[in-house]
Amino acid sequence: MEKRLAEFQVAGVRPVAISVDAPEVSRDLAHKAGYTFPILSDPDTAVTRRYHLLHTGGGPDGHDIARPAEFLVDSSKIVRWSNFTEDVRVRARADEMLAAAKQLR
Amino acid sequence: MPDATERRRNTAPWWGLLFALGAIGCNVAFFVSPPLQGALPWLSVLFGVLALAFLATGLRRAFGRAHVYRGKVLSVVLTVIALFPLGLTAFAFVKARELPSSTAAPQVGQRIPDFTLSDTSGKPVSLDQLLAAAPSASTSQSQASAPKAVLLIFYRGYW
Repeated sequence: MEKRLAEFQVAGVRPVAISVDAPEVSRDLAHKAGYTFPILSDPDTAVTRRYHLLHTGGGPDGHDIARPAEFLVDSSKIVRWSNFTEDVRVRARADEMLAAAKQLR
Repeated sequence: MPDATERRRNTAPWWGLLFALGAIGCNVAFFVSPPLQGALPWLSVLFGVLALAFLATGLRRAFGRAHVYRGKVLSVVLTVIALFPLGLTAFAFVKARELPSSTAAPQVGQRIPDFTLSDTSGKPVSLDQLLAAAPSASTSQSQASAPKAVLLIFYRGYW
């Protein structure tokens, strides 16, 4: 994701990652992985639940987490593309997301 | 005692072990993030099924056709060893796909409500702000003009 960030910026897309992790944990991740895009925290799972993405007990110590999902949202807050993997090992590929981004004219 | 050198080598259990290792090896391949990542879960299933077929063949030959094939002990040993990577492959497959249904999640064409969440420095950031022209609150490079879209990436977490 970070490697292709420039391509996303050229396509006019701002990536934003969201998880239930606390800001300190996300900061640690961003630092270790060198991510420069925003990483937001949803510790009480309010937004995760509002988007029906809650995975009850999916975390390593049984806490609730978000299931993996990606949404391309335009300036009117309308979803233009989404991806819900069926297997947590299979990640959304930057190519797919960039292709969806480029179709937004 | 039949002459051991006249009986054929029983290679099937070795193929079984090889495919069993291939099956669990698919799980390592996920981390390398190859282009055909989506096919890897099914490749691991294919390898697992092939492994079981070869192991069963090896056992059948060693015990059912002992006058033709060698390897009673070896076929059992290799089968037991192969069951570990096979078991792990099956476990990983089931666990990785234990995901809640996402039919109620926002669909294409749907408008999503605004939200406000903290960024890594604890500062609140709203979806409206992310869609606006101001540069993001985090360490990213400033993006002078408003983005056409925001890509929301919900992920499981960092552990």
